[in-house]
Amino acid sequence: MKLIYPYFRKNFYKILVGILCMIIVDALQLVIPQIIKNAIDTLSTGSFDNKILIFQCGYIVFLGLFMAVFRYGWRNLLMTSARNVEQGIRDDLFKHILSLDMAYLDKVKTGDIMAHATSDINHIRMAFGFGLIVIVDTILLGGATLAIMIWTHPKLTALAMIPMPFLILATRILGKKMHAFHKTAQESFSQLTELVRESFFGIRIIKVFNFESIISNKVEDASTDYFKKNLKRAFVTALIKPLLVFFLNLSTLVVIFYGGFLVMKRVITPGELVAFFQYLGILAWPVIALGWMTNLFQRGMASLKRINTLLDSMPGVSSPENPNILSKIKGNIGFKNVGFGYDKGKAILSNINFKINPGSSIGISGPPGSGKSSLIQLIPRLYNTTAGKITIDGFDLNTLDLDFLRGNIAFMPQESFLFSGTIKENILMGKNVDKERLDQIIQVCCLKDTLEKMPDGLDTLVGERGITLSGGQKQRIALARTLMHQKPIIILDDPISQVDTHTASKIISQLNQMNLNATFIIISHRISALASCNTIFIMKNGGINHSGTHENLIQTDRFYKESYQVQQYEERYGD
Amino acid sequence: METDMNLQEKEIRLADFNVVKKLWPFIRPFAWMLILSTFLVTLVTCFELLMPLFIQKAFDGFIVPVGLEKGIQILGFKIESFKTFCMFFSMFILTSFVIDFFQSLFMEYTGQKIILNLRCTLFSHMTFLPVAFYDKNSSGRLVSRVAGDVENMNEMFTSVLIFIFKDLMMMAGILLILYFIDIKLAFYLTLLVPFIVISIVLFSKILRNAFRTIRQKLAEINHSFSEALTGIKIIQTTASQNSFLQRFKDLNFEHFTAAVFQIKIFSIFMPFIGFLGVLSVAIIIWGGSFGVVEKSLTLGELVAFLTYMKLFFRPLRELSEKFNLLQSAMASAERIVNVLNNDKAKQRISKTRQRIDKISSITFDQVNFSYDQKTMVLKNISFHLGKGESIGIVGQTGSGKSSIINLITGFYKAYDGNIFINHINTNSINIKDIRNKTALVMQDPVLFSGTIRENIAPSGMDMDNARLEKALHNGNCDFLFETFSGLDTMIKEGGRPLSSGQKQLVCIARAFAFNPDLIIFDEATSYMDSQSEQKVHDAMNKLMKGRLSIIIAHRLSTVRNCDTILLLRDKKIREQGSHRKLVRLKGEYYHLLKKERI
Repeated sequence: MKLIYPYFRKNFYKILVGILCMIIVDALQLVIPQIIKNAIDTLSTGSFDNKILIFQCGYIVFLGLFMAVFRYGWRNLLMTSARNVEQGIRDDLFKHILSLDMAYLDKVKTGDIMAHATSDINHIRMAFGFGLIVIVDTILLGGATLAIMIWTHPKLTALAMIPMPFLILATRILGKKMHAFHKTAQESFSQLTELVRESFFGIRIIKVFNFESIISNKVEDASTDYFKKNLKRAFVTALIKPLLVFFLNLSTLVVIFYGGFLVMKRVITPGELVAFFQYLGILAWPVIALGWMTNLFQRGMASLKRINTLLDSMPGVSSPENPNILSKIKGNIGFKNVGFGYDKGKAILSNINFKINPGSSIGISGPPGSGKSSLIQLIPRLYNTTAGKITIDGFDLNTLDLDFLRGNIAFMPQESFLFSGTIKENILMGKNVDKERLDQIIQVCCLKDTLEKMPDGLDTLVGERGITLSGGQKQRIALARTLMHQKPIIILDDPISQVDTHTASKIISQLNQMNLNATFIIISHRISALASCNTIFIMKNGGINHSGTHENLIQTDRFYKESYQVQQYEERYGD
Repeated sequence: METDMNLQEKEIRLADFNVVKKLWPFIRPFAWMLILSTFLVTLVTCFELLMPLFIQKAFDGFIVPVGLEKGIQILGFKIESFKTFCMFFSMFILTSFVIDFFQSLFMEYTGQKIILNLRCTLFSHMTFLPVAFYDKNSSGRLVSRVAGDVENMNEMFTSVLIFIFKDLMMMAGILLILYFIDIKLAFYLTLLVPFIVISIVLFSKILRNAFRTIRQKLAEINHSFSEALTGIKIIQTTASQNSFLQRFKDLNFEHFTAAVFQIKIFSIFMPFIGFLGVLSVAIIIWGGSFGVVEKSLTLGELVAFLTYMKLFFRPLRELSEKFNLLQSAMASAERIVNVLNNDKAKQRISKTRQRIDKISSITFDQVNFSYDQKTMVLKNISFHLGKGESIGIVGQTGSGKSSIINLITGFYKAYDGNIFINHINTNSINIKDIRNKTALVMQDPVLFSGTIRENIAPSGMDMDNARLEKALHNGNCDFLFETFSGLDTMIKEGGRPLSSGQKQLVCIARAFAFNPDLIIFDEATSYMDSQSEQKVHDAMNKLMKGRLSIIIAHRLSTVRNCDTILLLRDKKIREQGSHRKLVRLKGEYYHLLKKERI
């Protein structure tokens, strides 16, 4: 409840006026049968007055106009409020997701979060929007109608109401059943979809092994299963409406039989009987809605709970309450006995110790799985260390404001991901353009020629609705994004692995010439990228095996030496 | 290529004859069911229309009797007592309930049955389409043809039929009955109809656009969510949460605005229709009163008028919604027809068709090939693979390695030059004969959800346990019996719980089970850790023994033991010969080898 409460408050007046409009509509709606009643009673007595008739008809039209205006009011106000809640919760959810830490996201399935963002929010809107309308309608319209009917003739009303509880019960039970059957049918449908997807994915195997007819049979079985489960749902769906009509007709039957009897006995007038029919018609909606609404509400509440749980999950990596305030980061990085593991008890890194001076450059290399990426991910606190501590300019990372820390680190992750949008948007990441810097970075990342060949240069759309880029192109754009804004610490995770050798060397030499004015850390398998670094770490099994300069390592480290020889050869013969 | 979005939103003419013609064969076997459904719908409509008539009879016959004589005539029966009438009325209610229920169920059943048939036929048709079709279309889109689009079609047989036969018929029926009761009054009410029609057409047009915008914005929102989740590292480390949040908020607001617009449209439409309803009541009271006074209309008939008008306005609220449903069903139908219009992979075999029951040699003779008749992917390829020999094909991505396989397996045709199997031109061999004796192991192991048994020999294939177990054993799949439940191990989506190496071993075992003459490995050991790679290599070697084999690899060590190695670069064979020969040549192969060694 606390999740939607703020939106209730924000939309308080809208909701209030909306409900007011609805009350007015409900009230006006009840007046019309009274006018009809009067008109008919006048007619049945045989008298006729033109003036009264004109007044009655004009009154009805006048009421109709008023109703239309107020109906417009409540629909507009209440439904807009519901959409507003939807919008707000979605914003909150998105904001929260952006703040979640990697360790948490590694654990949850993307599909689950997507489900929260789509169907759960939808359920909440339905419960909140329609729920509100139905509550007001049921209580007011239903109550008032019932009151008038009782006032006209209590016994007739009581008899007419006999089928109603059954009606409410039927909507509720059948609605629940329908939902459950719908779910099983949906599961069967996703199995079918998965089977079809698999088949298309493996179409070559299917053709080579002549499995065509066999796989068709399998799909037929799955379709038949879906057919059967769907039919179950259809059975309930087909039952609901006729059953509702049946119960309502039963009420009508009671009214005709007993009501007719009363008219014959002159206990009530014919007009009252007609009005009774009209009221019965009005009553049908709140009664049907009552059963339906409880289901809707239950579902909405369950969804609200799920979203609340997600929103309540505190990010594991967060800013301290009283962070150390630094005006500027110089770029001193220290690791002291640092250990780390993604799962408890399974250490990826252990006992890492080193110190990096501001403005110096560090190269990191080593075989796959030696912990290179895990190591550097600790610096912008994508993950928290499990042992030891990391310091920046002598301050423990955990005592610094998270946004401040990350704002001072240019970090390029291993997988170069581009967001759908223009290349420019991907490089700038929502920050202001410094035209000169942008040109310089494009030059450094060897993007100039690439961009010129693209349809709209920097404004070319990439991603889902844009063009498809090669791995190397993506990587260079990601590199440009990282370097775009001057930061005191730069960390690059294998930035040129997919760029061809020639371009890669060019990028590296241009990077070296550029006055970065920052602490520079680069992971790479390319010796050309490492050679110019002040210090190179060679990692092995979650520790730093050797460290030293290029010249040192050629002598002392076997991995480095072999890599060096391969690449010497490549440069001579390659490309 | 047209985007999905475009296709989805494309407007389709309602009665597109071609679509109907193409789909007719799928509907025809169920035509009698559809006709019966329609008949039932008509019956239900009649029952609903009779309801107010009964109330009128009750009024005029018993409650406020017209004339002296009590009682009414129904279907020639004269009912004199009010009690009998009520008995009759309850029977009527019950019958109408049963028919209504039966009609709804039967209609669903009919629709589902047609859909089931359509889905199975469509899928089976698709499996026989050439591989080129699958390469051209994204698999996600193809899946949605069989899944979502077929599902949409269901709407056509339920909602749309109800719309046409029930709602429209009922409205027409109501007008007709009203004319029978009182021409003048009915005529006044008919004057409302043009207003209704115009407003519905107008509103459904505006609504369709509104719905489309909402749908698009929602898709963008979902995309933003999934993108944020994938790119979270970048967002967090570039400290651009705020700009992303702002962008999302803007998008979310656009969605909100579109939704509000839709609400506004509805808030005008619904009250307007409601007002017309009230107006009709006023007209009835006005005109009816004169009628009653002039004795041309009874009180019961006046009540009937009121009830009929209520019935008349009921379906109107959903009319525009159903109209849109019909549109999207037609769009889906057209997409399905598009797929069905693709011809199955057919082979024109020359008159001198020859049967082969084994493959003992393959020869490529100056083969040129292009996927699109523009850029060549294979130029002048010639090689010979003799009995029991193996051939290794190496080269960079895009050098044309996989195209050679596409030709041998008949996935693609239309090449220049000749391909011979057993010295017979493949043009005169049934492709099934070739595939019967061929096995393929691909880079991404293809396993289907189901048991291991089903994966190796799908049900319907005649293989006993002994043979399957032997195949698994030969394919180094003993781990299945040790750590899993052997032949009955359940494989879930994506091959879980097997590792990628284990999956590949199962694929090799599948090849073993079919005892092929020709075995093709397409990058079967890429992206695998060295331990699993060793196991896979071992199984491959066992499988290759005594068979023709083709190995495609990007690593030279994989093909080192092949009898012949083809080095492809830039669509052509650059070097050809045994490992030793190529090493001695000291050419490209030699250099590549050196590079890999270090």
